[in-house]
This record gives sequence, C-alpha cells and structure tokens, in this order.
Amino acid sequence: MALSAQAWRRPSVPELLDLPSTRAEAWRWADMGALSAAAALAPIARAEHEEHFLDLPGARLLFVNGVLDEVHSVLDRVTLIEHVAGDHALGRHAQGTGWSLRLDTDAAADPVQVVHVATGGENHLPAEIVLADDAVATVVETFVGAGWSNRATRIALGRSARLQRSVRLLQAGGFVSLREEAELGSGASLVSVFLGAGQAGSRIDGQVVVGEGGYAEMGGALLTAGQQRQECAVRVRHAEPNGQSHQLWRAVAADTSVASLAAAVEVARHAQKTDGEQSLRGLLLQRTATVNLKPELEIFADDVKCAHGATVGELDTRALFYMQSRGIPKPRAQAILTRAFVADALDRIASEPVREAFAADADAWLDGAL
Amino acid sequence: MATKNAEAYAAVSKKYEWGFATDIEQDFAPKGLSEDTVRYISAKKNEPEWMLDWRLKAFRLWQTMEAPDWAKLNIPPIDYQDAYYYAEPKAKATIKSLDDLDPEIRRTYEKLGIPIEEQKLLANVEGAEPPRRVAVDAVFDSVSVATTFRAELERAGVIFRSISEAIREYPELVKKWLGKVVPQRDNYFATLNSAVFSDGTFVYVPEGVRCPMELSTYFRINAENTGQFERTLIVADKGAYVSYLEGCTAPMRDENQLHAAVVELVALDDAEIKYSTVQNWYPGDENGVGGIYNFVTKRALCQGRNSKVSWTQVETGSAVTWKYPSCVLAGENSVGEFYSVAVTNNRQQADTGTKMIHLGKGSRSTIVSKGISAGRSDNTYRGLVRVAPTAEGVRNFTQCDSLLLGDQCGAHTVPYIEVRNPSAQIEHEATTSKISEDQLFYAMSRGLDQEAAVALIVNGFAREVLQQLPMEFAVEAQKLLGISLEGSVG
Repeated sequence: MALSAQAWRRPSVPELLDLPSTRAEAWRWADMGALSAAAALAPIARAEHEEHFLDLPGARLLFVNGVLDEVHSVLDRVTLIEHVAGDHALGRHAQGTGWSLRLDTDAAADPVQVVHVATGGENHLPAEIVLADDAVATVVETFVGAGWSNRATRIALGRSARLQRSVRLLQAGGFVSLREEAELGSGASLVSVFLGAGQAGSRIDGQVVVGEGGYAEMGGALLTAGQQRQECAVRVRHAEPNGQSHQLWRAVAADTSVASLAAAVEVARHAQKTDGEQSLRGLLLQRTATVNLKPELEIFADDVKCAHGATVGELDTRALFYMQSRGIPKPRAQAILTRAFVADALDRIASEPVREAFAADADAWLDGAL
Repeated sequence: MATKNAEAYAAVSKKYEWGFATDIEQDFAPKGLSEDTVRYISAKKNEPEWMLDWRLKAFRLWQTMEAPDWAKLNIPPIDYQDAYYYAEPKAKATIKSLDDLDPEIRRTYEKLGIPIEEQKLLANVEGAEPPRRVAVDAVFDSVSVATTFRAELERAGVIFRSISEAIREYPELVKKWLGKVVPQRDNYFATLNSAVFSDGTFVYVPEGVRCPMELSTYFRINAENTGQFERTLIVADKGAYVSYLEGCTAPMRDENQLHAAVVELVALDDAEIKYSTVQNWYPGDENGVGGIYNFVTKRALCQGRNSKVSWTQVETGSAVTWKYPSCVLAGENSVGEFYSVAVTNNRQQADTGTKMIHLGKGSRSTIVSKGISAGRSDNTYRGLVRVAPTAEGVRNFTQCDSLLLGDQCGAHTVPYIEVRNPSAQIEHEATTSKISEDQLFYAMSRGLDQEAAVALIVNGFAREVLQQLPMEFAVEAQKLLGISLEGSVG
C-alpha cells in the first residue's frame, strides 16, 4: 500500500506492524484492517479545536497529528518527555516524545485538557500520569479529525491518590486505538470513562492493576453507526486484598455497525475480600447491527464477591408502550429510553461540566441515529 | 492467605476406585500415527472403501493443522507418535453370545458395576416402578465388546449398534449423517478423531418412535499408552425421542493418555434427544501425575422445527478436560439445553462449556453451569451464545456459578455473547463464592461431620443440574461428587 503523504510522523505501513491476528483470543473482534485504511486517509483540513476545550481552568494541550501545538497550548504542570515503548501490540508504536503529568504528595492540579487533532495519515503519542501519595487530578481527552490516532498512556497512582479520567472519541473518520496501563497503590482510586461517539473505528485496550483497598472503574459507552466498529478490551487485575472494581459498559449499535465489549476481572491468589462487578449491556437499533459481549472472570481467591451481568436486546417494549400511553410520541420515547441507557455509563464522571459535555456529544449522536 | 474455610480442608488421600487395570491379551496397532495406522484401523474394521477414503482425507487435513491453545489449560506438548491408536482384546473365534466374552473383560464390567447382561436395573434405586431397563454398548479400548437388548430395540425399530457394525450394516444412514454436524475439518482433535476413530455407538430412532429404554455406552480405556477415539452418532427422526447415557473410566497409570471423541446428534422435526454424561476418567494423582487428556467435540444439530436437544454432564474425572457440548439451533422454535457440573480437584484442569448457535426463529436455549474447584485445580466455563440476523425472537438464559473450596484453586468464567438480531433476549448471570461459614456451621450443628456437611452443600449447589439426570445416573453422580472432593474436604 502506498504511503500517504501525511503519514509523516512514523512512516510505517500498518501491515508491517506485526499486529496480532483475530485468531488470538484478545483480538477476536478486532478490526485490524481498519488501521491500514485509517492510516491511508487522505489529508484533511485541520479541524477547529477551540470548541473542544471546555471552559475549565488548568492546562490545555493541543496535539496536531501527535505534535504539540505550542501556540495554542497552556502547559501548566504538564511537561514533554521522552517515553520508552511498552510491549503492547499497538501501544508500543507510541514512543518518543509525549506528555507527562507528575504531581507531588498531596498536590491537586486543575483539570488537564488534551485535544488531539488528526488530519489524515497515522500519528502516535505516548503519555504518562504519575500521582504521588494523596495527589488528585482530572484529565479530559478529546479526539477529533480523521486518520489513525494511536495512544499509549501509563498511569501510576500512589497511596490514596485519585485520578478521574474522561476520554471522548469524536473523530469523523479513521481509527483511534488507545492503550491504557494503570497501576494503583493502596487505597488509590481511578475512574476512567470512555465515550465513543464519532464516526471512526476504535479499540480501547486497558490493563489496570489494583492495589490493597484500591478502587478502579473502567467503563463507558460505545455508540456505533454505519459500518463503524468500536470495541473495548479491558482487564482489571486485583493483585492485593480488599480492592473494589466496577466495569460498566454500554453499547448502542445502529445500521451494520459492530460494537464489542470485552471486560475481564482477575483476582490474584491472595487478593481476598475483592469486590469485582461487571455490567455489560448492548442495545441493537437495527437488525443488521451486531453487539458482542465478553464479561470474563478469572478468580484465584476463595473469599471474594464477583458478579457479572450481561444483556443484549432492543428497548423494553413495555416501557415504550407506557410512555406512548402517556402521550409521548414513539420516536421521542425511544430517544428518552436510549439516552437513559447511555447515561448509566456517563454518570460516573464526577465533574459536572465534563459530564454535561459528554452527555451532549452522546445526545448529538443519538439525534443522528434515531 | 489461607482462609478459615480453607484450613478446614485438610488433605485426606482417597484412591480412584476405578483405577484397576485388566490383564488380557490385546492386539495393538503399531505404535505411532501415519497413513498406515489409518489403513490398519480401517482394515481391522473391515470397512468399505469410502470409509477409508474419508479417514485418509481427515488424516491429511490433520497433518496441516495446529493444536488449539486458546483454552485456559496448561498442557505439555503431546507426542502423537508415542501412543497406540488401536488396541482390541484378542478375539475369541467368534462371539455368539455373551457367554463367549472374555471372562476378564466381563469381570471388569462387573467390578465397574456396568450390566452387560440384560439385567433389569443399573443401580438399586428404590421405588423405581416399573423396573427401568438400560441397553448398554460397552466399549473396551478401541472396540465395542457387547451391545445388549438388541432384539427388543429392533422390534421398536431402533437401531443401536457399535459404529463399526453400523458402517457395514447401514452404510447409507451412516454416510448421510457422519461428519454432517462435526465436519472433518472442524478442529484439530475432531479431525484426528475422524482419521483414527476406532469404535463408538450409532443410534437411529425412526419417525414417531419413543425409544423404549435408556440407551447407554460405557467407555473404558484399559491398555497402556493407548488413545481412545470413539465416535458417536445419534439420529432422531421426526417425532422420535431417545435418552442416552455415557459413562467413562480408566485405570490409574503414570503416563497421560489421550481421549479424543466426537459426538454428533441430529434431531429432526419434533424430535428430542437427551444426552447425559458422567465423565470419570482417571484424573491423575494429587501431584498431577498421569490422568486422561479429554479432548472432546460434542455437537447437536437441531435441524427440525420444535426439535430439542438437552446436554447434561457431570465432569469429575480427567487430568485435562477440553469439552464444549454445543447446539446448532437451526429449526424454528428449536430448544437447546446445557446443564453441567464440573468438579476439579488436585491438579486437574477443566475448560468446558457450551455453544448455542441460534439460527432458527423463536429458538430458545438455557445454560446452567456449576463449577466446583478444589485443591490446586483450575476450572473454566467458556461459552458462546450467538444469534444470527435471521433468528427472530430468540431467548437465552445463562447462569454460571462457581464454588471455590480452598484458596489454591481457580474459577474462571469466559462467556462470549454475539448478537445480530435486536429481538433477541439474552441474559447472562454469574457468581463466584465459597461455602459460607454459616451454612457449614448450621449443617454441623445438626450433627453432620464436616465432610458430610460440605458434600450436602455441594450437592445442593449442583442440584439444578443433577435433577436433569436420569435417576440411576443421578445417584451415581451424587456419589461421585462426594468422592471427587474427598481429599479437599477434611
């Protein structure tokens, strides 16, 4: 395949990336072909970025094709450093210069906003968020434009540190692949919420290791339409006792799209008193769409509470009927119920302006699909 | 960290009761696997040319395939050349009646409690009125040594044969259905089986016939270093009903032995097949030495409208279990059921579950899986529920519960759900727990010792599945659960 002129940051062809095939269990529903297509997208005009920054104090980072636009960025406590590559199949391609947020003990930073603009071709960017004991941070990331955007983010939380992380994928085309690796110290808390409400394909690859008494949430909503394919493959590993985790994912699939949710909880041998919960639910808007679910439990300790629930189907016809009987037209009733279905996942965002912005993006998507 | 619960389960060693070997003269195929082995087996069975070609095709295919490694199993590489693929008891001229059967083999079955005479009851179940009868096909290593109640079954029109006899006597029927549900190229172990299968059972129940008795096959691996590859094919024609039981044991040996079976079920319009398994292959000793590698492909095709297939399995044996009894629900309103209890102890590993492939409108499936892990074992439920775009109004309910006895074992749940039709209602629930101190305390305060209390609670946990078994099997299975857990339950 010919290289696009815009594939300038790392001029490698996805076929040569040595990616796993869909025969590998963790990549069963992956859409690797989409990477080549995304990387080969012709250059497009740079999207407007201003509107994607929320009205919040704190750092604003604007990355255009994985390169910091210093004119439009406010670094605040964020620095640029060199990152070494990890060993994840996609994540390892994101290496070199990337951003870093490091907070000292007891520090609390203003929210960090990162907007990633892609203009075709492929771009890769590593990042790290390192919070010392009792530090608190909020990070909001937004992906817009078109092309293949590949990210590797390493998160390390000290004792009782807290990180709220919200990521929205709003690219109009191409593919976004995220690799998240997080390690939580004792009593630390990580809440990660992802919203896929663009037209690009996506794969969210997460690995969270929870320490003693730690709390982890990995969740979000993937909304797919057209021929789009979005998936998450996240794994929460409880390495120490008394940890808690929630994985709450919602998928809405329209047209001929495919949404796949694979979430795993792993409880190590001595991680007693772990409470792991998974809730995966899929909603099919048309009969040509597909939802795949894989709620996986891997348990080696005997005194744990782990449960998962998974459902797929259409909207509850009784609820629809009830609303219609109260004078709400059917399309409106469908919209309200679908919105409520998605809102479950977004409610986990603690910051109100961020939550409202995410809900507005989800609403805009639903207005288009319904 | 050892919990109080775990501490209670001090090790009490208990031997595998079925671990004796029978000393009889046997004919072996030359060791190893090649086209010659396949020809040897085919010739031994006096098979027609088409059957040999079918086997050879599978063998050539197998050589190009790789063993699957996606299951959560830790299996050392298997040397397929270091095993015998065929072993048969040396034939006495011709066996006219059961009296001619080698007394050693006969004694083996007596010891196992399997009636190869046409006796009335399999187990002394009180209150079973009228007396229940079971027809048995006994498979000893690679050959079927006895099939009972043949005449009576024939009067009802039911064909109950060893598969090698069926290939000779009913070639058209076998040709029509063999490999239809599990094709030769299906998977590594099924392909191997297609090449070297030695015996097994063939059942055909004609239109509108309700099989007058339970049918059963009893598999016994006896010879050393021998793999057992049996093939079972059951066809229930329109409106027919059959209940089929399968049991298995093997002697205690230090090497691992291979068992790669294929079971194909076909249910036409309004037909129902109930397939029950109590799998009790030798599981190896407490250090994981020896035991059977159990790689089994079981699949049912619910081809007709309103057809129904119900799998019930109690898996207590084998060092390694790789087994996913499945239903392809092609017929309108067809029903698939899967009830499973899998118990692992010591170093056993089980990766088992089911696939429900919904293709027909209004098809329904129920999955109830109970996993019990003890010792240092690993127990995985792996299941797939798939709904095709054309399958309107599908309903599935899945429940998988795991019980952990001790803190050195693992319980895993890997369900896959793939839905392509919005009218489907798919529900999945799973829980993982241990026996609560309260339950144990209550049972013991009523005078039960700890072992009996745990057995009672485990049986209660598995009750939904055990209820699905025919009565004779349910009694045996209940006992087996207790025995399998001995050593983990102090």
